[in-house]
Amino acid sequence: MRRALPEALLAAMLTAVLAVPIFGLRIHVDGIDVSLDRTPTPVVVAVVIVFLLRLFQGPLRAAWARARPPAAWRNPLADVLRRTRQQPRYRTLLWMLLLIAAVIWPFTASRGAVDVVTLALIYVMLGLGLNIVVGFAGLLVLGYAAFYAVGAYTYALLAQHYGLSFWLSLPVAGVLAALTGFLLGLPVLRLRGDYLAIVTLGFGEITRLLLNNLNVLTGGPDGIGNIPRPTLFGLEFGRRASEGNATFHEFFGIDYSGEHAVIFLYLLGLALVVLILFVINRLQRMPLGRAWEALREDEIACRSLGLNPTVIKLSALTLSAAFAGLAGAFFAARQGYINPESFTFIESAMVLAIVVLGGMGSQLGVMLAAIAITALPELAREFNEYRMLAFGLVMVLMMIWRPQGLVPATRPRLELPERAEPTP
Amino acid sequence: MNTFSRNVLGAAVGAVVLVLGGVAHAADTVKIAVAGPTTGPVAQYGDMQMMGAQMAVEQINAKGGVDGKKLEAVIMDDVCEPKQAVAVANQIVNDKIKYVVGHLCSGSTQPASKLYEEEGILMITPAATNPAITQQGYQMVFRTIGTDDQQGPTAGKYIATTIKPKKLAILHDKQQYGEGIAKEVDKTVKAAGIKPVLFEGVSKGQTDFSALITKMKKEGVDFVYYGGYHPELGLLLRQSREQGFDAKYMGPEGVGNKDISAIAGPASEGLLVTLPADFSTDPANASLVKAFKDKGQDPSGPFVMPSYSAVQIIVDAIQGAKTEDPVKLADYIRKHSFPTPIGKVAFKENGDLKEFEFVIFEWHADATKTPVKQ
Amino acid sequence: MSGSPLLEFIQQTINGLTLGSIYALIAIGYTMVYGIIGMINFAHGEIYMIGAYVGLLVITVLSLFGVDSISLILLATLAVSILVTGSYGWAVERLAYRPLRGSPRLVPLISAIGVSIFLQNYVQLGQGARDVSMQPVLVGGWRFGPEDGFQVYLSYMQVLIALITVVSMTVLTLFISRSRMGRACRACSQDRAMANLLGIDTDRVIALTFVLGAALAAVAGVLVSMYYGLVNPFIGFIAGLKAFTAAVLGGIGSIPGAMLGGVVLGLAESFASAYLRTEYKDVVAFALLIGVLLVRPSGLLGRPDVEKV
Repeated sequence: MRRALPEALLAAMLTAVLAVPIFGLRIHVDGIDVSLDRTPTPVVVAVVIVFLLRLFQGPLRAAWARARPPAAWRNPLADVLRRTRQQPRYRTLLWMLLLIAAVIWPFTASRGAVDVVTLALIYVMLGLGLNIVVGFAGLLVLGYAAFYAVGAYTYALLAQHYGLSFWLSLPVAGVLAALTGFLLGLPVLRLRGDYLAIVTLGFGEITRLLLNNLNVLTGGPDGIGNIPRPTLFGLEFGRRASEGNATFHEFFGIDYSGEHAVIFLYLLGLALVVLILFVINRLQRMPLGRAWEALREDEIACRSLGLNPTVIKLSALTLSAAFAGLAGAFFAARQGYINPESFTFIESAMVLAIVVLGGMGSQLGVMLAAIAITALPELAREFNEYRMLAFGLVMVLMMIWRPQGLVPATRPRLELPERAEPTP
Repeated sequence: MNTFSRNVLGAAVGAVVLVLGGVAHAADTVKIAVAGPTTGPVAQYGDMQMMGAQMAVEQINAKGGVDGKKLEAVIMDDVCEPKQAVAVANQIVNDKIKYVVGHLCSGSTQPASKLYEEEGILMITPAATNPAITQQGYQMVFRTIGTDDQQGPTAGKYIATTIKPKKLAILHDKQQYGEGIAKEVDKTVKAAGIKPVLFEGVSKGQTDFSALITKMKKEGVDFVYYGGYHPELGLLLRQSREQGFDAKYMGPEGVGNKDISAIAGPASEGLLVTLPADFSTDPANASLVKAFKDKGQDPSGPFVMPSYSAVQIIVDAIQGAKTEDPVKLADYIRKHSFPTPIGKVAFKENGDLKEFEFVIFEWHADATKTPVKQ
Repeated sequence: MSGSPLLEFIQQTINGLTLGSIYALIAIGYTMVYGIIGMINFAHGEIYMIGAYVGLLVITVLSLFGVDSISLILLATLAVSILVTGSYGWAVERLAYRPLRGSPRLVPLISAIGVSIFLQNYVQLGQGARDVSMQPVLVGGWRFGPEDGFQVYLSYMQVLIALITVVSMTVLTLFISRSRMGRACRACSQDRAMANLLGIDTDRVIALTFVLGAALAAVAGVLVSMYYGLVNPFIGFIAGLKAFTAAVLGGIGSIPGAMLGGVVLGLAESFASAYLRTEYKDVVAFALLIGVLLVRPSGLLGRPDVEKV
């Protein structure tokens, strides 16, 4: 207690220094008149709170420790997860149940919620894709939005100029994005660690700037509008069909409802996610997938085992870019309109945050984090001003309390049985 | 699916729905969604929109509402991001709101308008000026503001016929709005036989323009048109004066904001601005202006009155057509004209205003403006 | 009338050097933190933004009190801004990064992105999203060249910016190379565990690094609010990205590298804007970064990584 008082005073003073210029004095510009508003209340409140918390830090900590629930039931999920990991049968069952729930859900939910989750699915695709390079191969990529943009613009341009359908454009978008990843990777992947991160960041910015500047090709800041929605075997989801096509509701003889299109997009997104998951899960068990993780753990050891690091890294980046391309084409289809502002650095940073918050290398974690990051700000729409503030805070707190992510990845591990007592 | 499981799942989802948008409970209100940015970098323009719409709602309610029903403004924040705008639009559809005043940025209006068209929701934007929005052949989309291809030519003609600059530079901020207007100006002056020596884009949020100014100074530019918003132009003006580059500047309504004088100070003297006629000085609006001032609000922002008018047009149409069906209202709005604070309003077939007049003002260092005789 | 190409070149060089000085001051913060804990402090741009706000605030307060002596304004503003911004640097490190010491590389990076988002919205909550601006405190300058033609203009403010940058850099370099704390800093950047074993309080050294970086960002912030006179909660992002690019360009972890990187980047932008097109200046800046890294993978003045088994 004796040491607590001066410390608390110091903390209170620091709080005052921090808070006065931001909350205590507010610059008020009205036309050419500049004046200062003094608002002491928030500062005083902050200072008092910090002072008291700091003063009673000891007792508070002790109370907190006592109030903590026993470790056994702190994480009820952990038990289930552990069991599913040990028993593949449970695992498959759990995934199937999740999938069925995900397929049924949109028919019961509101349109707004389905749309928000569709947006979340885009981030799930991006998260899963980036997870390959960041989580598995351990390469930090900060310009992921570039591949996403390539995918989106590929579909938009193909639809605009050649009238290509979503289904034809989707693979093209994936391939083109993959090609971009491959071409970027060739010279760049020999850079190590953070330098790779910076180069990809620069690449991401250049891509966005070029999209914004090459007006003739990309429409510049005007973007590309009227991108058609995906069709179901040629059936359109609009109220009226375009020339020579049928609409979904006419074909099935039901009333038009805008919800059909929303639900269809959701299911399509879900299918893409399942496809991506399937591919990744297969690859993860193949030599290539093992090589990614081996490379992350120790590059030099890999090289001495005869693995070619450049090829391995390149394969990870190419595949990851391909998935971003798919996500991009899907995004363009959902929006119906794209412009370069959807592919800023913040977008790349968000996807990276999803991967890390979810738990690097963990697919379930990445999916949960993607849903949390897109859906939570939507849920908190009422608290507009505090929404992003809280979002930033949660990111920091998560890193402090759960740096391994929501669902940490587990590696397959083999332990030797303990040696039996030596018989005399 | 059977009723039981529907109920169970529905209950779980219900919680989400509640938070997402609130349930439409009272049938005796008429809801109008006001969609625009209330947070983020362009929030200050969103505030103008919200201010105007809310004032209209208050005043209409004070006069007894819409056929005895209360009017309610539901504010939806799209942060001016296209992807958020789509989410907001879906939310509006979901909440069964039938009328939208918004969105503000052209980039978010465009994807959202597609949904409104499909779902039969009446949308009136008081702020999005990109011509493409009303060129999509939509029935449900209107706007109560002039377009870039009305404003650009006004400025372009003035430059070509009155200013007759020896060397003209056209700059823009590489955004949809700024570049759109700059292109229109470029087109108009070229048609009049003036070829700009420079047509370049700066970037949004850029603070240092010295290199560009030096370049213009070296070229001997004597007139600059800037398409964009006030922060960048304010800095351009200020740094031009510093460097001793004394060309005259001109800009669109996005720069016609008191803040330009706060940023550029004395350098804002003599700036030319195309603005919608200042509705807040129209004597017919005196009582409305007083109502704003009584609330401590500034009605002179470019989107305040158009936003007020948008709400009023919806209400007038409901009362005139005696229906709340948005599709019929759209038809009614197209065929009739409405007295509003922005004048007597009638719409073209595509939803644009039949007439929207842009006036050229000269800006002064004390943040006032005077109309320029043409 | 068209000006002499030489004079224009000189003017563009002045423009580039001014811009580069500001980049360099911010870049130092990135490079020092990276040098010691190997972390990209994404929130540094926001720290600079706070410095700019405080600068503007103090100048406004002083002008309301009728203070008009340039040197007094400058000193007072710098002092207050360094105090406040330094406190922010310290607090951010203490609250958001110190608990993460020893965790995998990406964890502090995400935390930094979180802090960056938080601070941006925090300032927006306190000061509003609108631009705040003020009139220049120091106006005027020298003109060179023909009376009736293109004149090179060098403003007092530009000279002041260059001067303050050089002085801050010199003080910092002296501090790092001569003082006891500076030696501890260098020891930590070489081998943190070893420094710890030798009795250096590494937590204190790291905290000091953040405070020093923030102080230089405060200087940049004050200069920016005096020179450009426009501040909003979002200026930190672009400036941070550019300064970070400058730090990497020069060789991250190297203090002279950050200075060089800042100046090179400023000049590149200025010349790209002058001789190409303004909209391509950022493309040129980032392309330069990629080009340099491909040729010299650890930046202009960076020391190459040693591979350890």
